[in-house]
Amino acid sequence: MKIIKPILGFTAFALGLLIILAGLSYLFVPRTNTQAAGMEEIIANGIQGEPANSIDVVVVGDSESYASISPLLIWKDTGYTSYVCGSGRQYLSYSKTLLERAFENQSPKLVILETLCIYRPIPSKTIVMDEVSRYLPILRYHDRWKYIAQHGWSTSGGEVYTSPYKGHRLNSKVSGVEPSNYMKETSNIAEIPVYNRILVEQIQEMCQEHGAKLLLLSTPSTVNWNYQRHNGVSALAQELGIEYIDLNTIPDQVGIDWSTDTYDRGDHLNHSGCVKVSQFLSNYLEGTKLFSDRRNDSQYANWNTLLQNYETDVSSGKGDQR
Amino acid sequence: MERLLELLEEIRPDLDFENCENLIDGHHLNSLDIISIVAEVEDAFDVTIPTVEVIPHNFNSARNLWDLIVRLQEEG
Amino acid sequence: MSSYFSPQYLALLLPASVCLYAITPQKARRVILLLASYLFFWAVSGSLIVFLLFSTLSIHHLGLWLDMLQQNSKRELAQAEPDQKKALKAKAKKQQRGIILLAVVIHIGLLLTLKYSHFFLTNGNSLLRFLHLPAILPVPTYLLPIGISFYTLQSVSYLIDVYRGKIQADKNLFRLALFLGFFPQMMEGPICRYEQTAQRLWEAPKMTWNNFFLGGQRILWGIIKKMVVADRLNMFILNVFSGYDQYNGSVIALAAVCYTIQLYMDFSGTIDVALGSAQLFGVALPENFQRPFFSRTISEFWQRWHITLGTWFKDYIFYLVSMSKPMKNLTSKARKRFGPRYGPILTSSVALLCVWLCNGLWHGSAWNYIFFGLYHFALIFTGNLIQPIVIQVTERLHIDRNHLAYRILQTMKTTILVCIGELFFRAEGLRNGLKMAWRMVTDWSFAPITTGNVFAHGMDGPDLILVAVFLVVLFFVGLAQERGVRLGERIMAKPWPIRIAVYYAAICFLVIFGAYGIGYIPVDPIYAGF
Repeated sequence: MKIIKPILGFTAFALGLLIILAGLSYLFVPRTNTQAAGMEEIIANGIQGEPANSIDVVVVGDSESYASISPLLIWKDTGYTSYVCGSGRQYLSYSKTLLERAFENQSPKLVILETLCIYRPIPSKTIVMDEVSRYLPILRYHDRWKYIAQHGWSTSGGEVYTSPYKGHRLNSKVSGVEPSNYMKETSNIAEIPVYNRILVEQIQEMCQEHGAKLLLLSTPSTVNWNYQRHNGVSALAQELGIEYIDLNTIPDQVGIDWSTDTYDRGDHLNHSGCVKVSQFLSNYLEGTKLFSDRRNDSQYANWNTLLQNYETDVSSGKGDQR
Repeated sequence: MERLLELLEEIRPDLDFENCENLIDGHHLNSLDIISIVAEVEDAFDVTIPTVEVIPHNFNSARNLWDLIVRLQEEG
Repeated sequence: MSSYFSPQYLALLLPASVCLYAITPQKARRVILLLASYLFFWAVSGSLIVFLLFSTLSIHHLGLWLDMLQQNSKRELAQAEPDQKKALKAKAKKQQRGIILLAVVIHIGLLLTLKYSHFFLTNGNSLLRFLHLPAILPVPTYLLPIGISFYTLQSVSYLIDVYRGKIQADKNLFRLALFLGFFPQMMEGPICRYEQTAQRLWEAPKMTWNNFFLGGQRILWGIIKKMVVADRLNMFILNVFSGYDQYNGSVIALAAVCYTIQLYMDFSGTIDVALGSAQLFGVALPENFQRPFFSRTISEFWQRWHITLGTWFKDYIFYLVSMSKPMKNLTSKARKRFGPRYGPILTSSVALLCVWLCNGLWHGSAWNYIFFGLYHFALIFTGNLIQPIVIQVTERLHIDRNHLAYRILQTMKTTILVCIGELFFRAEGLRNGLKMAWRMVTDWSFAPITTGNVFAHGMDGPDLILVAVFLVVLFFVGLAQERGVRLGERIMAKPWPIRIAVYYAAICFLVIFGAYGIGYIPVDPIYAGF
């Protein structure tokens, strides 16, 4: 009996705390996805500004994903709508959060996970924080006290942020490289951190629940990708029954020229590399026969406008300034 | 004891050694004073104060210090 | 696990060991403490735990050896003729000193090898190059086990205390292992003495609700200090110290002040978590801080900052040197030559210099730490030297040295001197430290502060205001503590609804104002690296 009372006491204390934190969470969650409202990683979260159920393909991943894939180019080729929820040095736990948010409003038929995230070890602190802050968002948005202190609780009249390039980030600079040892074949396998593996499984489950197909995609990078990692992801994909495409192993189909197609010596693709990857993806998406061409759908007219702006930006050299 | 008090007052004329009971704990004496006191006492009373005896208790009052000196003299 | 602030420690290791401790009978509790300690060590440093095990075994053995020699010599003395006693005593002392020497060579030697060989060999190579000789010394890098600087000092103090007859050598290997390895003290101290903690840990006292809440409160307080203030300042400090040439003097000065605040908040916060953790088990570790920024002189500052290190150096270096035969003779001579005031200053400064060289080196093997030590030596030495003059001058001018204004001025002077010292302490190498100091003198303008430009480098206006408000709160807390108010116990004395409200408020404060998540880089535990 002596032990019952303290246990009850602690439970009551913890419950009370949870209620208070849930209340604070309600006060602190950004009302919209704009920077002013306190949203983090607004380009990746820009998908929340898209009309409901308007996106066919959702891409999640780190900087590789937003450098290599341009949704507007895919639109131009196929008339399919896509969005890149990419952020620099993205952790897989955050990929999961982004995807979860995307599914709230969108029902994509295909989800593409860029595979470099799978190899990024997640600090234990981040794992805990990402997991807990899904239920208690105060932990993610606590820093909004600064904004609230200056502007009060109300947020500016419900404006939403939309990304002009649909999550892609343009960079046309060239800093080539002559790769040595890039994708040298081996049977060694690079080990995937245990928790990341679990996250891939959870992402797979989430996609199944929402009726979306999951595709693992390794975009070309001489710095970040190698055959050990290819083997690791291959094995995982096979085990879980997920389709896996490694663009690093099929250079003849993608046609990356490492002397011209990268802006940081093989780490990321630049615009000309992105064109090639997007072209490849367009072909792949057409092959799946999952989607329909929306180019003549008046509801999607602004995609054409955005494409025009994008092409103007490219030709006016806007991507060289980065 | 008289001689010890004289000696102490010579080192720190501003302190009341006869009555003060917390010379160390009250931060009245600093390590410099301790060194001088040890040197002087050893000279004057022909004893050796080993390092292990340099503890707050032995220096907190003149009385305690005197007890220490007597004890060391007896031990020879 | 990388610190006491990691979820593994706060959410797993600590609660698990507390729960187990609470439900096991007294005899088994000490086993839980030791297991938790080794688990902690292993989680941080992996197989390097062999260093701790080796130190424990060796200290245990050497202690018993010393004890045996002491017993033998006692027996011999009892039987000996009076005229032989002196010779016998000297012989016994010599043997015992041999053991101490052996212990110091092994343990300090191990510490020196692991921690300093890089520094000494690199500088050796520089010297060779300077002499136009080939730089051939191989420079190894070793992985350091956690807490080696701390438990080595505890080991040595234990043996010396046995030698001095202050404590008995411990026959119980288990108790000694717990004394050396107890996990709350492992990361950043406090450096405990055997007589302070060993017996208490061994008894493994019954947990009480009072200790549980006091300890918990203290842990929460430590986390708040660290996460709200120390982590918040980190980005700004990182930016300025790594690229100081882009900032002008006022920004560098602000960064030095911020670093001093950060260091205090991080270090004392960690110590709060350490002492709080130990208190959960009913074990009182020695205090390591006593409101250092209320100090009126540098020497007082060091009696209030990192207290257990200061007293360690005082007991085992300062008195060891100043009470040695040749130094005692020198003191007597100097007193006769330079008078009772300046004589001892001269000799004690030799001991003081040893202390500060060791203090500098203990913090790390780099020239800026040595400079830091010498800087504080110089300050304390000058302080001793001019103290009589200050007394004379103030008395002639009829200034009351106990007047509040005078004391505030003294405190401010001390704080500024400390901040300057910490600038060198934090600088990336001595050369950069000197350059930063030089910039503060030559390139000073208030422009970055008046224009708000300073807020573009990792710290914005709200950050600064929050830190300032927190410091004001801390000041009043300190003031109350100086007057002997024990705030933790004050809270405990309140009726439970108020206590619960205080806990909720503190947790919410931490959740909202903690500097964690996107946009912040938490500071690594600073003192764990020393």
